[in-house]
This record gives sequence, structure tokens and C-alpha cells, in this order.
Amino acid sequence: MNFSRILHNVNYLFSVLLFLMGLYAVTVKPNLIKKLIGLNIMETSVFLFIVSIGMVEGGQAPIVTEGVKTSRMVNPIPQALILTGIVVAVSTTAVALALCIKLHEAYGSLNADEIIERFGS
Amino acid sequence: MNWTLDLLLMIFLVATAAAAIVLRDLLAAAVVFSAYSLMMAMLWTQLRAPDLAITEAAVGAGITTVLFIITIYKTVRKEGK
Amino acid sequence: MRRLLITGALALVGLVLLYGVGKMPPMNTRLAPDKTHVVPRYLEKGEEEAGAKNIITGIILNYRGYDTSGEVTVIFSALCAVIAILDREKKGRSRSGVDASAIQTSVIVKTVVRFSLPVVVLFAVYVILHGEPSPGGGFQGGAVIGASVILFTLVFGLPVSTRRMPPGSRIPLESVNVLGFLAMGFLGVALGVEFLTYLLPGIHGALADTVRSLMLTVIEIGIGVGGGVIFVSIVFTMIREDQYELQQDTA
Repeated sequence: MNFSRILHNVNYLFSVLLFLMGLYAVTVKPNLIKKLIGLNIMETSVFLFIVSIGMVEGGQAPIVTEGVKTSRMVNPIPQALILTGIVVAVSTTAVALALCIKLHEAYGSLNADEIIERFGS
Repeated sequence: MNWTLDLLLMIFLVATAAAAIVLRDLLAAAVVFSAYSLMMAMLWTQLRAPDLAITEAAVGAGITTVLFIITIYKTVRKEGK
Repeated sequence: MRRLLITGALALVGLVLLYGVGKMPPMNTRLAPDKTHVVPRYLEKGEEEAGAKNIITGIILNYRGYDTSGEVTVIFSALCAVIAILDREKKGRSRSGVDASAIQTSVIVKTVVRFSLPVVVLFAVYVILHGEPSPGGGFQGGAVIGASVILFTLVFGLPVSTRRMPPGSRIPLESVNVLGFLAMGFLGVALGVEFLTYLLPGIHGALADTVRSLMLTVIEIGIGVGGGVIFVSIVFTMIREDQYELQQDTA
């Protein structure tokens, strides 16, 4: 493990940390809304990772303006991909929250363990 | 790249994410999640991604937070054990 | 014991990810492998080939237009899924729990919302139409339009909002983003060339630039209006409370 490289890529380090926190919330917390918050944190941590790959020191935004050379721009491809990713994240969150409303109406609680107990009734 | 501002933003990001996971009151967790989205939008601006900053600010603070608060209003408010 | 197992599993995942991070090239280098193959061509020829000064708009609508067709399909099917789970409202006025709050919204909040809402909508239209020369684009403006209508609903109540935007006017607009994108995509097929192209046969020179600009604007407006109405419909469907009153009557 190359420790100096890990400490230099500080954006990636925080992205891994946020991913682990989101994974903890999804697996350990029994409340469904906490699980959804954890899922959103995992998704945004992956977005941070991918956009940080294309970062250039002293770079400019990839918009053609006067006085900005195209060789000094940051990488525009990850940003275009993550734009679609943000749309997909909000779509899945909306559907999952609608399912939470229906589950609460059917089973009376939002705790995953209690819902599994009440499956038969 | 402004190292101190980026580092400060990322420390705030981790702090708000930890608060959103640990809080028992779900409405407080949704509001802190909106603050997390704001920190992320500022980080996109630092990473020279203006399209992503506008999208994250509009979608994270405007749509996702409102959906969470509507769901919390219709279901439980406290995370019961 | 269980906590120890979970912490151990997470630490293992973390170690694997950190090992991968250690193998990646250092950040902020100018000649990293991701920037040397396709990116210089996109940056240098993006403006003349894609017709947009904002290279990201050129990428998502021209170089990678197929991904954007998937994106508009995803947001439309999210709306279909939410309506399939929670039924669409029947005719007449809808009620929501937001109206029956004991604390009335104050005059200050209502006046501020009344003044700032037209400015917000104007800004959203500006962001949609200026997708090419500046940061912005279709989806960003659509999200801002949706957020402004949601703000209006939360302050003034659901019956007022449903009277202004009834389901009859929302249903045709919800599919505008998919239909607009596919219409512009199949325009090439109808004229004999490939799918999702902006170079129509028989049109050259400056007229081709105008046609491409027009098609890009139609797609952006479609995605913007469609996205905004989809978000408004999702929130109206989730906030409505007619079905709960019906359940409590029969239970």
C-alpha cells in the first residue's frame, strides 16, 4: 500500500470514507428512511470520486470563453456522466420514498425488522 | 486548487454525513441531509463543474429534501428502536 | 459480537478500496491517462462539431446523446412508478395534510413568495435557454421550475395549486421530454440518415448550423419543461391525502 500516494489523493480518501459511512447506514440502521439517507450518501461519494479524477491543477471550467486555452480545461467527460447520475439518483429516491409511504400504510411501522415480523398478517 | 478550502469543505461534508446518520429525529436528519447537499454543491464549484453545482443545488436542496420531509410527515417522525 | 463483525467487514471493504486508491495516478496531473485519449479532441473540436460553447452540453446532447435518451427514460419511468404505487388523483379538488396545519402561514411568508416566484421562474427559463453559451441546460432549469411550484404549494396549500395546475394540463406535458428527444432523434431516420444526428441531408453551411441550433433548443426546452412537470406531479401525488380518508372511513 502506497501511503504517500493515498495521502496525496485526498479527494479519493474522503470519497472512500463517505462510501463506508453510507454502507454502514444501509446495513446497520433498521429504519428505512435512514437506509435511504445512507444510499444517497453512497451515491454522492461515488460522484465525488469520479469528478475528482478529471481535475487539473489550476484548470478552468470547460466552457469556451475568451482567453482560456483548451489545454488548461478540466476533463469534461466525467461531469457529463455524473449529470445523468444525479438524475438517476433522484429518480430512485422518489420511487423508494413512495414505497416507504405504502409500506407504512400496510404494516404500520418503518422498522425493517418489524415489517419482516408482520409479513404473515 | 485551493487546498485549505477544499479540505475544509470535505471535513464539513463528513461531519454533516455523520450527523445525518446518527440523529434519531428523522426530520432533523432530513434537514442535515439538505446541508450535506449544499456542501456538495460548493465542492462541485471548487472542482470547476458549474453544471453539476447548479444541478446538485436545485435537485438536492429543492427536490430530495422536500420528498424526504413529505414522507416523514406521512409516516414516523422518530426512529424507534 | 455483531458490532465487531460489522466493523470488521467494513474495515475490510475500506482496506480494499484504499489499496485501489493507492494504485491510481496522483491527482491533478496534466497527463493522466484519462485526459490523453479522447478529451483533447472533445475540447478542441467541441465547439464546431457540437455547436455549443458549453462543452458539457455538447457532450451530453451530441457526442453522447444516447446516454441522455436513457436519462429522460429513467426520469419518466420514475414518474410512472410513483403513480403506479400511489394512485393519481381523481377529478375535483385534492386535499393534503399541509392545509390543515394549526399554524396559519404568516402574511410575510405569503408576500415574499408572491414577489419572488416570478423572478425564480424567469431565472429557470433563462437557465434552460442558455444551455449552450453558459453553464446551464435543460435539466437544471426543469429542476428549478419544479422547486418553485413546490414552494408555492407548500405555502399556499394543495387546493390552490391543483386549481392552477390541474391534472388535465399536467398529463400532456409530462411526456414532452421523452417525445421531444425521440422526435429530434428520429428526424434523421425519417430523412434517410442515422439516428440522433444533427447533419440532415441536403443542408450545408450556415443553414446547417442554424438547424442544429434549433434542434438543440427544442431538445433542451423539452427536457426542461418535461422534467419540471414530472417533479411537480411526483410531489402532488405524494402529498395528497384523499386515499387515506377513504381508508379510515372503511376501516
